[in-house]
Amino acid sequence: MPPEPVVRLRDVTKSYGTGAARTQVLRGVSFDIEQGELIALVGQSGSGKSTLLNIIGGLDQPDAGEVEVLGLDTLRAGDARRAQLRNRSIGFVFQAFNLLDHLTVLDNVMLPASFSPGAGDAAGRGMEALRRVGLSDFAKRRPGELSGGQKQRVAIARALFGAPKLLLCDEPTGNLDSETGKEVIDFFRELNAKDGVTLLIVTHERRVSSVAKRVIAMRDGMLVETTDEALAVAGGGPA
Amino acid sequence: MMPIGNLARMVAANTMRSRRHFVLSAFGIVIGIATFVLFLASTEQVAAVLEKIFPVEQVSVVAPRTSFAGKDLSKKLDDAIVAKIRARPEVDPKDPKAIIPRMALTFPAFGRGDFDSNDLKFEVGGFADGVDGSFVPDEGDQRTKDLFRDWDGDTSDPHRVACQPPPTPEDGDVIQSPAAPKGGHPGGLDPAAPPPPPLDKVDDWEKWVWTYYHNPCPEPDRYYCDESDHTCHHRVPVVMSPTMIELYNGQFAKSHGMPVADVDFVKFVTQRGGLSAMRFSIGLGLTTIAGSNASIRKKPRRVEAVLVGISSHAMPIGVTMPIQYIQRWNREYLGDDAATAYSSIIVKLKDRNRIAVFAQWLQDDLDLRLEDSLGQKFATAIFVIRLVLILISLVIILISAINIAHNFFMQVTERRRELGLLRAVGASRADVLMVVLGEAALIGLIGGIIGIGVGFGLGALIDWISAHSLPRFPFKPSTWFHFRWWIIAGGLLCATLFAVLGGYLPARRASRMEPAQALSQN
Repeated sequence: MPPEPVVRLRDVTKSYGTGAARTQVLRGVSFDIEQGELIALVGQSGSGKSTLLNIIGGLDQPDAGEVEVLGLDTLRAGDARRAQLRNRSIGFVFQAFNLLDHLTVLDNVMLPASFSPGAGDAAGRGMEALRRVGLSDFAKRRPGELSGGQKQRVAIARALFGAPKLLLCDEPTGNLDSETGKEVIDFFRELNAKDGVTLLIVTHERRVSSVAKRVIAMRDGMLVETTDEALAVAGGGPA
Repeated sequence: MMPIGNLARMVAANTMRSRRHFVLSAFGIVIGIATFVLFLASTEQVAAVLEKIFPVEQVSVVAPRTSFAGKDLSKKLDDAIVAKIRARPEVDPKDPKAIIPRMALTFPAFGRGDFDSNDLKFEVGGFADGVDGSFVPDEGDQRTKDLFRDWDGDTSDPHRVACQPPPTPEDGDVIQSPAAPKGGHPGGLDPAAPPPPPLDKVDDWEKWVWTYYHNPCPEPDRYYCDESDHTCHHRVPVVMSPTMIELYNGQFAKSHGMPVADVDFVKFVTQRGGLSAMRFSIGLGLTTIAGSNASIRKKPRRVEAVLVGISSHAMPIGVTMPIQYIQRWNREYLGDDAATAYSSIIVKLKDRNRIAVFAQWLQDDLDLRLEDSLGQKFATAIFVIRLVLILISLVIILISAINIAHNFFMQVTERRRELGLLRAVGASRADVLMVVLGEAALIGLIGGIIGIGVGFGLGALIDWISAHSLPRFPFKPSTWFHFRWWIIAGGLLCATLFAVLGGYLPARRASRMEPAQALSQN
């Protein structure tokens, strides 16, 4: 019996606004993500990539369809169960880093432990996550003292804190220079290869999609399935 | 659900990082709670002072005064009336103190005592009454409880020994209570000393007694030699009301150049050097008032009394003693009728709201009435004033809660991205709700503590101004505020509750925010 997919979407629709201002963002999206995959989700602005990522991560709810993430039907599960899933099994990396400036780097990394009963040695795990991204010497600093690349590495460390099975990244290199962006992409590839973490990366950059095992493209709220087609739809981007 | 320790840490960190927000939110709470505790503490103290002047926990049943051709035809308050009142449903039959009859001393008597080397004479007839010994001591006054009882009714008292009383002046005067023996004097007239000059050759009896005669009784601090049966008796224990002390301090002491006395009896006795310092003589059947034509059936005689305490249950103007003394003396000087007629009956009702029903029954069935009580009126006035002040405080706190709501709405909007991030890393809606409500509660709690501190500070300032700027007047309190524990607890509870109330809607909005939208905000 084949293993259960990490993510299973069926006929997912989503719209924003009402009446004449209503915008259909997702139009019956269906696909699976298998364990250990590294997928690039590409498409032009407004194509629905981020909305789809948020729905998978339980940060947004679809209007209709089925969403199953790591065995949990997120559409029917309660808010507490979805929060628990995000806390224990999903990591998020955002384009804007989303670090809290009043906390130290280590406290930012340990933030998920605040919502996890019996988090154990949170500081030790936080330091380990920082070590993995090469920032263990920056634990006591504040985010304001870091460069953009360092901030994103802290955000990645925070995403890795709970040893997630699924990493959802929304334009993770969008605010980085090409050199730093390359380092981040290399780190994701290594994470996928060595630790078997499943990654879904929303991007419009070719250099990101080029390292993906599968590329899924979106246009007008619908998927364009194959890798080659997807790349064509994506229309390329910075290499 | 978020662990409570983590919640507390996050709430504390979030509150402390935004001082401007904290000050803006807590300011109203501080003012509101300061006024809340100050108002309540002041009404509490005013009520306490008023209760000293007018005990309000009970009503007083009296017979309307009626007379015809100079003869008193008022209805007699006796044990039959007491039994009827006791059977009423408004009265708790199990409470022994629910009904307390008072009996006035209804024949002439006057007192004489030494106070700070001043020879004081004062009327006691009409200014003394008796009540049951258990009724008088104020709560916690063990000293009065021990001493205020019918000592003469205790025939087994080992101190009731035979003695030689001092001679009685034949001019109708009453000598002051003789001093206790000292310097080896045996008490009474010293048989070893040269015989004193015969009394019929002496002009000043008082001086003669004080020179040659000393109290011969054991424990002369408490016992004296009674002239009626030539045995030692415990001095009659009496109590005075705080009103008497205040009248003395406010009017009498000033006009007669006498020292001011503290209401606190312990201090009072300490100042005077012991229990016997508070003793005085009572001339039963004698009066200082010229022209008195009271008809008494027995020869006047002298007894000794001692002030044993201050009690809010004492007669307001006069002295109060155990009722058995009054009964015996009224019987001795006026007959049985005077010994069975009460001057009033104190009744404690189970429910003060039933007072109207009880008063109506008294009037309809017994032709009696309730004594007009200033205390009741003051208590009602204080109650209304307290309600108004609490209302004002609550309005201030409510406005501060609205201010908190406004500030928190702004905060929640400013912190959308942060709250969205918390959702992304595992916070549930309930967690976000608790974080924001916790911040509101902490602001309320800290604001409440500061407010209580401000209240105490203002109270101390007002007390200082009062002590230094207001002239002394009867019942002027040393403090205008009584900060009871429940006022402090109520203040903290109110502060926290209203702050949480103010924070609820913003917290609800924060918890219902879609994390995806919150995170997409620039």
